[in-house]
Amino acid sequence: MLSVENLKVVYRGVILALDGVSLEVREGEAVALLGPNGAGKSSLVRAIAGLLPKFEGRVLDGHVRLMGREATHLDPVRISALGLTAVLEGRPLFRYLTPVENLVAAGHRLSPRELKEGMEEVFARFPRLYERRHEQAGYLSGGEQQMLLLGMALLTRPKLLVVDEPSLGLAPRLVAEVMATLDALRREKGLSLLLVEQNARAALSIVDRVYVLERGRVVFEGEAKAAAEDQDVMEFYLGKEEVGFRQARRYRRRKRWV
Amino acid sequence: MSDLLPYLVGGLANGALYGLLALGFVLVYRATSVVNFAIGEFLLVGAYLTYTFALFLPLPLAILAALPLAFLFGLLVERGFVRPLLGRNVVAVIMATIGLAAALDGGVQLLWGPDLKYLPGSLPDLGFAMGEVFVPSRAVWNLLLAVPLGLLLLFLLRRSRYGVLVRAISEREVAALALGIPTARILAGVWGVSALLATLAGALLAAASGVGYNLVFLGLKVFPVAILGGFDSVGGALVAGFLLGALEALSQRYLEPILPGFTEALPFVVVLLVLLARPYGLFGERQIERV
Repeated sequence: MLSVENLKVVYRGVILALDGVSLEVREGEAVALLGPNGAGKSSLVRAIAGLLPKFEGRVLDGHVRLMGREATHLDPVRISALGLTAVLEGRPLFRYLTPVENLVAAGHRLSPRELKEGMEEVFARFPRLYERRHEQAGYLSGGEQQMLLLGMALLTRPKLLVVDEPSLGLAPRLVAEVMATLDALRREKGLSLLLVEQNARAALSIVDRVYVLERGRVVFEGEAKAAAEDQDVMEFYLGKEEVGFRQARRYRRRKRWV
Repeated sequence: MSDLLPYLVGGLANGALYGLLALGFVLVYRATSVVNFAIGEFLLVGAYLTYTFALFLPLPLAILAALPLAFLFGLLVERGFVRPLLGRNVVAVIMATIGLAAALDGGVQLLWGPDLKYLPGSLPDLGFAMGEVFVPSRAVWNLLLAVPLGLLLLFLLRRSRYGVLVRAISEREVAALALGIPTARILAGVWGVSALLATLAGALLAAASGVGYNLVFLGLKVFPVAILGGFDSVGGALVAGFLLGALEALSQRYLEPILPGFTEALPFVVVLLVLLARPYGLFGERQIERV
């Protein structure tokens, strides 16, 4: 479905964001990509969605293969047509458009009938959106915006859904709701999912496998269960209760000398 | 009062053209954030295209023939001058449109010569008398074409799927790309429509008063009209066009005897006054602050 090999990404010609990342998402699989701020998670998302040039970045080395095709330097329109939809970080919806218009924009490849049916399906799933369907989307709550984004992603009819930090800025109860929705959607539609998160605990609850990214490199790779049991991953990414400021600093220092 | 009406009719007729031109200008600005300084030249090129076709076609047909060519011209400008610079500093694109304007100024005069030309044909006479006021044919044509076309565009922008895509791209291009929306193609279309509107305005002007280099100065009016309308409001541009046209007429009638030449400055004075009270212009959108 998606395989990334030894990907190196650089911004403005000098800032190395990814330093040889390899990753795979198989058909029907849910994979989480975890890591702290600045680890390169969003760079990876931009790279596989073909959006790097829009951020003054480019692929220096390595390959992205999508649906068995070389997709490293493909433009975003083609990539989307191949069946990959990326929901970028920061709630990338159209704030001046209404939810209905947002969905219309997202369903640009659908016939009028498919669009209508698709929209009805989205509204049936998220009744709250239906109530506010003619308000400007910028005024929806964070949770509603996230639901709208998932609805929009559905209308692009993806085979592989990449979601970047859906939990950001949401209350814990809403985070759980978003994760449950993602999980349900994936199972119903038979999607593959690449979930990029800082909130490891939330992500681990719905994925099969995990990659942990750190400073542009993959530092851990394995089953979600193994990740939950691994001391280091637990401590540093799941945020075990007893990890305080001091330990976190010691960890940083230790990593630096590795 | 009755001596005012003819002025007003003339003013609204001019305003219709301002509105058309500003509509295209604002459309491009909203969709691509490019301030097109070559909009006056778009009008000029359109007027000369119409003139050229009118040499061997009846005028209505000549205008119809010029419009698709104008659309193509808009696509070419986008392809050649704007797209290579997209993603760069906006100032770079704006400078490019200034350069384009200069090149077109020169090019047009090279091709068609510097002297004023009159079109061989004319549009069917639709002038009529309304009580004591005579409404000239050119006013009827301007209003008849500008108002429905402006409203149609507004409607398409608000209601059609294509319009929704244009608005989506204009707000957040990267998000649109991530959804697989072919932004480059759609934005090129917007430039085409902009050139088409400018050409229609140019053709109507040419039909009324001939074609000459001085048509370019109408392009300058686009800025006060667009700013008055709110710069990013397409409907506002149309309304502001009429408003300024009418105000110019009033000034011509009442202020010109006292302050000769004031009408030239009036649009800019009005803009200053309006902006003092409403920084977003009359119809500009307020920014949504919460995210």
